[in-house]
Amino acid sequence: MNDMTSIDSPSVAKSGLLNLSRRGFIGASLGTLVLGVSVSGGRKAFAQATAPALAAGTNVNAYIEIRPDSSVLFRSAFIEGGQGIFTAMAQIVGEELDVDPARFVVECAPPGPDYLLIGNVRFTGGSMSVRMSYDRMRKLGASGRMMVMQAAAARLNVPLAELTTEPGRVIHAASSRSLTYGELAAEAASLPLPADAPLRAKADFRWIGKPVARLDMHDKSTGKTQYAIDLKVDGMLHAAVQHARHLGAEPLSIANEAQVRTMPGVHSVHTLPGAVAVVADSWWRARRAAESLQVEWSVPAAGTKNMMPADFSSEEHMAKLKAMSGDGIAAETVGDVAKAMAGAKTVVQATYDAPHLAHAQLEPPSALARFNSDGTLDLWLPNQAPEMFQAAAAKIAGIDAAKVNIHSPVLGGFFGRHFLYDSANPFPQAILLSKAVGRPVKLIWSREEEFLRDALRPMSAVHFRGGLDESGMPVALSAVSMGEGPAGRWFGRKPDTVDSTTVEGIAEKHYAIANRRVGQIHVDDPAIIGFWRSVGHSMNDFFYETFFDEMADAGKQDPYELRHRLLADNARLRTLLEAVADLSGGWKRGPFVAEDGTRRARGVAMASPFGSEVATIAEVSMNGSDLVVHDIWVAIDPGSVINPAIVEAQVNSAVAIGLSTALMEEVVYEHGVPRARNYDGYPILPPDRMPKVHVRIIESGAPLGGIGEPGVPGVPPAVVNALAVLTGKRVRSLPLSRTDLSGTI
Amino acid sequence: MELTVNGARHQVEIEPDTPLLWVLRDTLGMTGTKYGCGLAQCGACTVLIDGQTIRSCVTPVESVVGSNIVTIEAIADDAEGRKVVEAWVDHQVPQCGYCQSGQVMAATALLKQSPSPSEAEIAGAMINLCRCGTYNAIASAVRQAAKA
Amino acid sequence: MGVSPVKRLGLFVAVVLAAGAAGTWWTTHIPSSPFDGEAKPAPGPVEKGEYVARLGDCVACHTTERGKPFAGGLAMGTPIGAIYTTNITPDKETGIGNFTLADFDNAVRRGVSPDGDRLYPAMPHPSYAKMSDDDIRALYDYFMNHVEPVVQANRPADIPWPLNMRWPLAIWTAAFTDPGTYQPKSGEDALWNRGAYLVQGAGHCGSCHTPRGLGIQEVALDESDPRYLSGALLDGWYAPSLRNDHNTGLGRWSEDEITAYLKTGRNSHGVVFGSMMEAFNNSTQFMTDEDLKSIAHYLKSLPGDAARDGKPWQYQPVAVSVSGSAAPAIPGAAIYAAHCATCHGRDGRGRGEWIPPLAGVSSVLAPTSQSAINITLNGAGRVVADGVTDAYRMPSLGSKLSDQQIAEVLTYVRSTWGNQASPVTAQEVKALRAHTDPASPDPIILQMR
Repeated sequence: MNDMTSIDSPSVAKSGLLNLSRRGFIGASLGTLVLGVSVSGGRKAFAQATAPALAAGTNVNAYIEIRPDSSVLFRSAFIEGGQGIFTAMAQIVGEELDVDPARFVVECAPPGPDYLLIGNVRFTGGSMSVRMSYDRMRKLGASGRMMVMQAAAARLNVPLAELTTEPGRVIHAASSRSLTYGELAAEAASLPLPADAPLRAKADFRWIGKPVARLDMHDKSTGKTQYAIDLKVDGMLHAAVQHARHLGAEPLSIANEAQVRTMPGVHSVHTLPGAVAVVADSWWRARRAAESLQVEWSVPAAGTKNMMPADFSSEEHMAKLKAMSGDGIAAETVGDVAKAMAGAKTVVQATYDAPHLAHAQLEPPSALARFNSDGTLDLWLPNQAPEMFQAAAAKIAGIDAAKVNIHSPVLGGFFGRHFLYDSANPFPQAILLSKAVGRPVKLIWSREEEFLRDALRPMSAVHFRGGLDESGMPVALSAVSMGEGPAGRWFGRKPDTVDSTTVEGIAEKHYAIANRRVGQIHVDDPAIIGFWRSVGHSMNDFFYETFFDEMADAGKQDPYELRHRLLADNARLRTLLEAVADLSGGWKRGPFVAEDGTRRARGVAMASPFGSEVATIAEVSMNGSDLVVHDIWVAIDPGSVINPAIVEAQVNSAVAIGLSTALMEEVVYEHGVPRARNYDGYPILPPDRMPKVHVRIIESGAPLGGIGEPGVPGVPPAVVNALAVLTGKRVRSLPLSRTDLSGTI
Repeated sequence: MELTVNGARHQVEIEPDTPLLWVLRDTLGMTGTKYGCGLAQCGACTVLIDGQTIRSCVTPVESVVGSNIVTIEAIADDAEGRKVVEAWVDHQVPQCGYCQSGQVMAATALLKQSPSPSEAEIAGAMINLCRCGTYNAIASAVRQAAKA
Repeated sequence: MGVSPVKRLGLFVAVVLAAGAAGTWWTTHIPSSPFDGEAKPAPGPVEKGEYVARLGDCVACHTTERGKPFAGGLAMGTPIGAIYTTNITPDKETGIGNFTLADFDNAVRRGVSPDGDRLYPAMPHPSYAKMSDDDIRALYDYFMNHVEPVVQANRPADIPWPLNMRWPLAIWTAAFTDPGTYQPKSGEDALWNRGAYLVQGAGHCGSCHTPRGLGIQEVALDESDPRYLSGALLDGWYAPSLRNDHNTGLGRWSEDEITAYLKTGRNSHGVVFGSMMEAFNNSTQFMTDEDLKSIAHYLKSLPGDAARDGKPWQYQPVAVSVSGSAAPAIPGAAIYAAHCATCHGRDGRGRGEWIPPLAGVSSVLAPTSQSAINITLNGAGRVVADGVTDAYRMPSLGSKLSDQQIAEVLTYVRSTWGNQASPVTAQEVKALRAHTDPASPDPIILQMR
């Protein structure tokens, strides 16, 4: 066996999101491509090597390659995983470059300083891609257009001012001459970056703000799209692993290694940090062999990094969270809660909780590693942050980051899964295996191994107290959240500050409650935790917006009307709330009898996630002991919109995953091991439980907000509030499958 | 053993209990059919055997020798398949797209069996999982394909 | 050599009366062993004793999934509280390191510990009683000389006083066991006799497959009683008849098919699951081909009971449409189409020996639906044949399907393709769901060394 356990497992971005060394990236960026170089010759061009460093997001040649047929190969700073970002980039850049987005081919850019568009780093997440890059990508497109026009002016020997463009073509009307972008690309690429390319007037937008067709529909409908898991290189071997069931345990011995080595197609057997692996001539053979290895695992010593205690149980950890008392560190303080609570006519109290969740994206993680004769390493892997993976991979491989070429294929779903998390990514194993066998290795984690090593949404509980005055109006609200957040876990947590991901959705709500305090008590989460679609909002808005209805009920107020009253001073949110009510045919809480004779009720919730504002209404009924969600109405205000069709698709998607968490999803640990290891034990929303989804987009003109995540948080509270109306049963713990609803109606 | 995939014959030397999925992906290099769960839970691996859907991740290759195997790679050669793909594009169905090969195959099989499927038949046939939640778009696209 | 029930009851009464008279002596005495006074034998070849340990499947109960080989500690539920299997490694303090061969023999074949305590009959000593002196000697050698001693104290049973008194078990043993080792039956050949010896003795097949009486004893210990191996419910699984019952037993299995099943875990009739999966993983696959043949030969000699078994099953094709809507009258059809058909086939015939049929198989036609409910709710554990993990496993459907849906689909399965078994109710599903857990997706290999 090939023992690689002595090599340290990767220490992920603990050094800090904001402290990543730029040196390696500059080196790596020398390989970036230049506008106008033909496809065949472009890959290793160093034309920009001597150019002074440009501000991120401005270097046209790093992003745009105009091909001879005037189509555009665009290198997106952000990765496509279903959220439509490649199409959005083509719309934004194409609008200013004056190329029809349909003529774009978009791929994810390699590592490099030109692509660090989020602060001074890069990741695809936080629903930030468009809002953090919109202005720069417009300017980038406009600069590209200017460069093409300058090249045309030189070629035609006419003043720049006499030139105009139409999509993919520069026009000199005076002489009735025109040149295609493709004809001008090479010359354009050699020009310096123009300082002041004019932007198109919003009124003249042809593609921004329109339901432009997504670029990847045909390939994705015909199986042609290649994900990381589909890739193949010459001489490649396949690998599969068997992970230690308890994180932190290491392989001590393999009882049947000799036998497994004789299984068909097996190349070699390896031990890795926390895992054993088989390399074979096909994945299935590797997988069967890896699964057949009879391994004796160590019992990790107390204090082992990331170790999962052998007795960890979700139930006990939740009990521990809920038993915490005290006010915690203040995340938000307005007015005087203690005084207001003391003077309140009625005090409402409740504790809410939500479980660990798995990302359960449909594409299992994989990584393909190839060491090249020139000392470089090619690495193909699903990821949301190429530079971070580059740095980590370099450390594993023991080479300079500049020698690591990161390739980022489109993602078969991500939802936060493909950030750099300790022990949750297969690429370190692929690198070690490729090094060991001296050939390219593609490693795929089986679904079972993935469920064992996914980075989970944290477990959380919140104690609420609400104080109401004589008229039933909330005058005081106290919330204390218990648990740990992923931002603190991966980017450093200071002892006396609150990780905002633990309280987002509870703190800084817009309701005019005069006295409020939100606190947080840190409790280490024993699992590897990560960012999960809409992060803290995914559960915190459920906690808050459902408790809000409890306050409304205690104060004998209609929850819609109460929200409306408490938003009296917020025109944007009032408009949004009215919009969702209007979309649903006017607010009615019920219970009422629907046309089909079923007894139904509705619930409402609001959320302010990722710069957007969302209002959600759900309509439910009961079928025996099963909750049926019929319709979800969502009004969303992201300020303004790039592609309304994508917004609507993303809201549909968010409703599905939000409802899935409300109804059925939870990762349950027993004895330090997750009970479910596939979709049988971890069901996700099936088609027959998908409600009708109705979307209204409001463009308030506020600064751009996110789209990928904001639709999620309102769904669980709207559904659970509706359930409470229908059945009188207040559910404070998700998912609903934990609660026996039989006999509630 | 000899397999007939998309009309072409292939000789494969492989353990008889190997799932068809991995013969398609690794032996024949046809990666349009996806691995999602390996446990017949998600349907990303759906292919047609003699016109009916099966989940290739749980189909021992030995059991489909002599059958006509059709994968997403040949979808354009199929009359129903073309209608389905067109409807998928019209309705902008895919998001991440990973499940969509299987969804398209399931829809194609449905239309072969039932050219004008009822809502119940659509619900009964379109049972593959989609983590992006494209279910409503899928149902709309199937309805369109049935009318085409 | 069987003991009639009437005789058995008489014996029981006599023993109770005798116990009153003879006091505690009888219920705590150490029985005699043919090995009394025998000195500790020199170590023999490991293979011999190890093989007997495989035949007896000692590891299944005396080793836990994460524990050391034979250190005990496995909880076994009883109606009066859990008991825990004991440390049978040769550790002198916590294991059986101080056992003489006679002590060992008394524990294995008579259920008596060296201090006179009676073992709970979770230890299948009524079956082991039939094991030969030679096998016992080999087994003793194995545990004394080839198993690593492990220091692990035995865990007392959770059974409260006075139920935890063990002396009444002596009466139980006297009433419900046949004393003496297996004696070859004249008129039967050596193959048959070897099979009978293995099935009745070390293999203790009857522990699961023979119905139990009011005293939770197996109602028969050999083929002299037609109830022997006629199928029984234990621990949430229905162990089907191993007799020649056409529908519910081995009537349609050839001897070769039985042998293959025990050797590889599968044949065209089915795949091992539930408790049999454990017996296969840890025991039957390690038996020699000759021993497996003998077992098959013996089992095929046990006549079926047509009255109990019902009308012989015959396949009847049923087409299920892609949506299941072809048979709207049977609500389970659509659930079958969605959740079962892709593996087991729309025709219910499975896929060769890799994925079992549901048409006509004994586990579906069984008089009770416990096994079908259990595996549907909880899925199958992993079958590991010759060190290689199975390619296909049954997923658990308990998180996806309601009690009602499982009842409907199993009712459909039990009444389609010629299957004629009773309907399944949601209440049955609910009851089993309450006290069972999903099977582990990890292969569980209990190491003996």
